Amino acid sequence: MNQQLTETEQAARLKRARRTAYAVAAIAVAVFLFSILQMLWISK
Amino acid sequence: MAHAATHDHHDDHHGAPKNFFVRWCMSTNHKDIGTLYLVFSLLMFFIGGSFAMVIRAELFKPGMQLVQPYFFNEMTTMHALVMIFGAVMPAFVGLGNWMIPLMIGAPDMALPRMNNLSFWILPFAFALLLSTLFMAGGGPAGGWTLYPPLSLQTDSLAYVVFAVHLMGISSIMGAINIIATILNMRAPGMDLLKMPVFVWSWLITAFLLIAVMPVLAGAVTMLLTDKYFGTSFFNAGGGGDPVLFQHIFWFFGHPEVYIMILPAFGIISEIIPTFSRKPIFGYKAMVFAIASIAFLSFIVWAHHMFAVGLPLGAEIFFMYATMLIAVPTGVKVFNWVSTMWGGSMTFETPMLFAVAFVILFTIGGFSGLMLALVPADFQYHDSYFVVAHFHYVLVTGAIFAIIAATYYWLPKWTGHMYSEFWGKVHFWNSVIWVNVLFFPQHFLGLAGMPRRIPDYNVAFANFNMISSIGGFLFGASQLIFLGVIVHAVWFSRKKATDRVWEGAKGLEWTVPSPAPYHTFELPPVIHDEELAHGHVED
Repeated sequence: MNQQLTETEQAARLKRARRTAYAVAAIAVAVFLFSILQMLWISK
Repeated sequence: MAHAATHDHHDDHHGAPKNFFVRWCMSTNHKDIGTLYLVFSLLMFFIGGSFAMVIRAELFKPGMQLVQPYFFNEMTTMHALVMIFGAVMPAFVGLGNWMIPLMIGAPDMALPRMNNLSFWILPFAFALLLSTLFMAGGGPAGGWTLYPPLSLQTDSLAYVVFAVHLMGISSIMGAINIIATILNMRAPGMDLLKMPVFVWSWLITAFLLIAVMPVLAGAVTMLLTDKYFGTSFFNAGGGGDPVLFQHIFWFFGHPEVYIMILPAFGIISEIIPTFSRKPIFGYKAMVFAIASIAFLSFIVWAHHMFAVGLPLGAEIFFMYATMLIAVPTGVKVFNWVSTMWGGSMTFETPMLFAVAFVILFTIGGFSGLMLALVPADFQYHDSYFVVAHFHYVLVTGAIFAIIAATYYWLPKWTGHMYSEFWGKVHFWNSVIWVNVLFFPQHFLGLAGMPRRIPDYNVAFANFNMISSIGGFLFGASQLIFLGVIVHAVWFSRKKATDRVWEGAKGLEWTVPSPAPYHTFELPPVIHDEELAHGHVED
């Protein structure tokens, strides 16, 4: 048996997925910048 | 459970583009991209394996035999980089791509176009990396850890750093996709604590990737600026510190080890219940153990650096933190054994590899515990004992799990059964020769043979010859694996059933074999008793 997702539900699901992806990508960029800043700070 | 996919008119074998270029180069289908990752990984496995053959051929006898020392060092470096970033990681991403949407009842990955991009970066990254072997100054030869100042002497460092950046971007995009898919695309009713352990293991691994790949990117960027832009991050002469690189590298490097083993834990947690015909023992404990291992992996990095002269307090902290990892790992090993206990077990090829994984990975785990002890590590450090340890973890651990997964899901992917006879021939050859290859290396290390050298004292001759013979035969055994796959894909006449294995449970077994090009366009209904781990109490 299948469950029907309405178009609105599907669109909402994809929107949530995109938002998650942006959040996780932002974390990755922040870690990259932080790692460089950390080394700049240690190297002073 | 979802019977739907089998009967749903949306789920059919049609829909794949006919044009080869469009289908494989522009694909956004998770199954096709999963296949691309797996084929790429197999190719890299053989390229990295051929480098290993060069290493073992040179070490067959004491003295310089076949290659120049610099080329030998290039081989050890490239073998590691290719196997880690080209074979093991893409294999797990491929398995995740193929299986995660099927296991959670999703129609595809959440971000299909990014999925395509994250795969197609890889061939360019590795073409770049491997091309350095043909450059005038040679490829990287300072080890996969790229420690300065040695790595700064490599003429092709810029190419290597760019290749590492590309691999990192690919891994991060893959991880973002997996997190977004698991958190948002699950079928209604597939709660987090109802997901298969493999999916859990990948979710946690993806967070590890997000946390550490950018750190590696930062570290190698600074290598680049040290070499080409006159900075002195890691140059003691300019006020920097080469040990800083080691800290940063291993802050990435140790979680990286778990990136390569947690999905393997997930695979084994799928296979053992199937062939024991029992739900996994302690489902929640298995999930929490994976999460605990992932957390601990961030606070143990300096156990790779005991010999650099850390403060005593730091050595004691990192020693105990490392030993602590044995607790959740032990939970997993005991739960796998408990799952088998009293089960109605059969030993098809995937199960043979899974059982071998449990035993041989545990040997690697025990030698890891020995290395965690600070006073003992001073003897073992940079010796063949370390080489034996991590090859037990990564070959009989990660690679055996990938092979087990391939045999387990191949009928679902291709619609044909592989040859069980040749699968077992492959297994027995692999399990015998891998031990002949790596077990003597423990003795070599304990006797004092350093790693990454092309020549050695005659006292080490016998064990090296045995190890090399094991290496050649283990390498040759993998040609059987290639043959079994080629036969199953193109020549096998034995059709696979939808469920394939009698004891198999989970959504992926409710779709036809081969899995249709599009599945679960309408989400399936989830029934707890049909989940691989049975009903989970709240």
